[in-house]
Amino acid sequence: MRHSVILALVSWLVLLALPAVAQTLDIRGAIAAPGDGPAFPAGAPAVQVTLPDEWARTRPGFAGTLWYRVRFESAAALERGGLPALYIAEVCSNLEVHLNGQLVQSGGRMTEPLTDNCNRPQLVALPPALLRPGFNDLDLRVAGHELAEVGSRRRAGRLSALAIGPQSALAARHARLEALQVGAPQALGATLLLLGGFMVWLGFIQHSKGHLAWFGALSVGWALFDVRLWLRNSPLGHAATEILYCALLGLVAWAAVQFLLRHAGVRYKPVNVLLPLQCALLPLSLLLVGAQNLRTVAAVWYGILALEVVVAAAVWHRLKGGRTEQPLAVMLAATAVAGVIAFAAQWSGALPVAAQLAQLVVPILLVLTGLHLVQRQGHALQPAAQDRLLLEQRVREATAEIEHDFRQLAELRVEQVTERERKRIAADLHDDLGAKLLTIVHTSDSERISTLAREALEEMRLSVRGLTGKPVRLADALGDWRAEVVSRLAQAGIEGEWVAPEDLPQTLSARAYVQTTRILREATSNIIKHSGASLCSVTASIADGDFQLVVQDNGDGISNEIDQRLDRGHGLASMKNRAKQLQGQCLVESGTGYGTVIRLTVPLDRAIEGS
Amino acid sequence: MNGHGHADNIEIAHGVSPMKTILLLEDLPEIRAWLRKLVLEVFPGAQLSESARVHDAIELVKAIKFDLALIDLGLPDGSGVDVVTQLRDVQPEAQSVVVTIHDDDEHLFPALQAGAFGYILKEQPRELITEQLHRISQGEPPLSPSIARRVMAYFSVKTKPQPAANAVPIVSLTERESEVLLRVAKGYTLPEIGVQLGLSRHTIADYVKQIYRKLNVSSRAEVALEAQRMGLFG
Repeated sequence: MRHSVILALVSWLVLLALPAVAQTLDIRGAIAAPGDGPAFPAGAPAVQVTLPDEWARTRPGFAGTLWYRVRFESAAALERGGLPALYIAEVCSNLEVHLNGQLVQSGGRMTEPLTDNCNRPQLVALPPALLRPGFNDLDLRVAGHELAEVGSRRRAGRLSALAIGPQSALAARHARLEALQVGAPQALGATLLLLGGFMVWLGFIQHSKGHLAWFGALSVGWALFDVRLWLRNSPLGHAATEILYCALLGLVAWAAVQFLLRHAGVRYKPVNVLLPLQCALLPLSLLLVGAQNLRTVAAVWYGILALEVVVAAAVWHRLKGGRTEQPLAVMLAATAVAGVIAFAAQWSGALPVAAQLAQLVVPILLVLTGLHLVQRQGHALQPAAQDRLLLEQRVREATAEIEHDFRQLAELRVEQVTERERKRIAADLHDDLGAKLLTIVHTSDSERISTLAREALEEMRLSVRGLTGKPVRLADALGDWRAEVVSRLAQAGIEGEWVAPEDLPQTLSARAYVQTTRILREATSNIIKHSGASLCSVTASIADGDFQLVVQDNGDGISNEIDQRLDRGHGLASMKNRAKQLQGQCLVESGTGYGTVIRLTVPLDRAIEGS
Repeated sequence: MNGHGHADNIEIAHGVSPMKTILLLEDLPEIRAWLRKLVLEVFPGAQLSESARVHDAIELVKAIKFDLALIDLGLPDGSGVDVVTQLRDVQPEAQSVVVTIHDDDEHLFPALQAGAFGYILKEQPRELITEQLHRISQGEPPLSPSIARRVMAYFSVKTKPQPAANAVPIVSLTERESEVLLRVAKGYTLPEIGVQLGLSRHTIADYVKQIYRKLNVSSRAEVALEAQRMGLFG
């Protein structure tokens, strides 16, 4: 009888609400009765409740399954809107929906361990075939936990207000809320997991950047809180899952404290031991006190962990609170505030919107802070990279220098060996071949053979000295030539005239020096022996990178007859030949009675001439 | 470099040769014979002592007093430079002349430092060698431009400031000697230099002799200094 009265009242409420929101029926009241059976317990004492119904307020200490019944009239308007559906913004932990005694929706396991649907809005299609004209009974079987058993109020049993309307209209609301409570946290959680993992790896490979690893651990820990969004059916059972959740918070606090300390550049040995110990102690204590006291003990732990993080933050602020760390400080502070709000809101159950926002803001801030840290790390790497580049360049330079020195040394050694070898060969040639040629020079009765032997001797010197010898300064060469020519002419009673520029810096190759000496010697000999001249002038000059020597006499000139005779003695022809060998030129101008002019042109030592 | 060479009439002292005893050190028999002939032509009636080895020559130097020594450098049992040194020590008044096939100052310079009074290149035409021998006998040693340059380089290094601890009487060339040396290096003949400096030919020859002497003295001082440094003389 009481049931009917209450239902009538509720129905009236529903009817009243119907015109308010076009096509959609908001339901803020129901009758509730505990019961484990497969259907609404008809005989059980039912009480009227307003929705949302939070068990922690309305029935403290209750855990298990609770039936809610809502009676609504299937209005024509509802059916016209298309497939009708039931929308439930929040139900914790799980529910079944029965329409007129028929099961139309099951969220998962209704016995321990319950499927966790606390964060998921529900949209249940109401099959029109099951709808009756007039009043319909909608029964919701909700299974949940008592507040004392959970670490957060949001995981305690409850049911939000309901809405019945066309599915198309409700689907948008459902999608919006699901995106906010499931999609976005999942995406952020995945990002955080990736970034955190990367930072752990970064800190691991760079031992000096340990704070990165700890921040990564903090991020990964936070991301793991969202596991329940992915994993609705915990394989471990409710109590174990709750304990693990609280233990995870211990790990996050450990990572946070270590990050702050490492970043500040301090290492406290006791902290390194105490924090892991605490992480082990936390779940152990929760296990010992039992499921009924979990929430209380967890609250104590939350306080302790928060205090630790605050102390670490204070240490960090004291050591690193400069201007350069201001962005980081702001971000960390914001993260901390958001984290505290998130936890406080979740724990207390007040301000559900703040809890939701904080839940999104914390991972965002963590991602930003992580990126900031990685970027700073990158900046710090830049000078290191530059240093390395510089070092590499130095090494390259040093290597090049060493190679250059080595090459020089090798060249020097080759030069020394060559010089020694040259001297040895020269000595051998002088002692052996030289002596024999010399014997011929001085013992032969034939002037021609004597001359040939003398030339052979000079040729030998040429091959020894001319090929490998050093270039001769032109000034020195002119000195040598002058001394020889002038003294020979003087001895023969011929007046000699010598015109040459002073202090010439140019050089002649050793070969050019020797060949020119011989050409000049031959020319002088010819003048002394054949010309009958009384005057001979030698003029040296430099023109167009060539050395020019003009030997002129006032003798008889060279008649054809004399020419032939001279050439038999390797005279003019050999002079021309020698000049040609040097890429030079030897021109002889002569006429009977006009004397002779010999013009010799020899290229200067090109390598030296340029300098 | 501009000048006129003058026909130079050599006063060959006919009659009594100033070189009465002559040492001939040469290992090749043919060359020795040729040299003997040549020397006897220039110094008729001279007493010749011949040797083919350094060892024998040193023995001869100890036994006989020589006016002139013609010394080959490359010999089977050593270098003729040792004989030059020996002569300089035992008979300072004897004139050592190197007769060699080596025309480079690397070979000639040590002999000059040891006290040789000029050098003659073997492959030169006979008349040139004859003339050089005459001049030597008259106290006019030959000096080629390349040797002059080498001597200049030697003394220019020597005149550089030396540490006081090594203070030995530094032998240096006079301005006139340097002047003569420089002109020789440029290819002027001694008579030409005499004309240029307004000095007699004998005076110029004296400068050249003096240069040879100083080269020898300086080299000896150097050797002594080196020996002192090595602790040979305490």
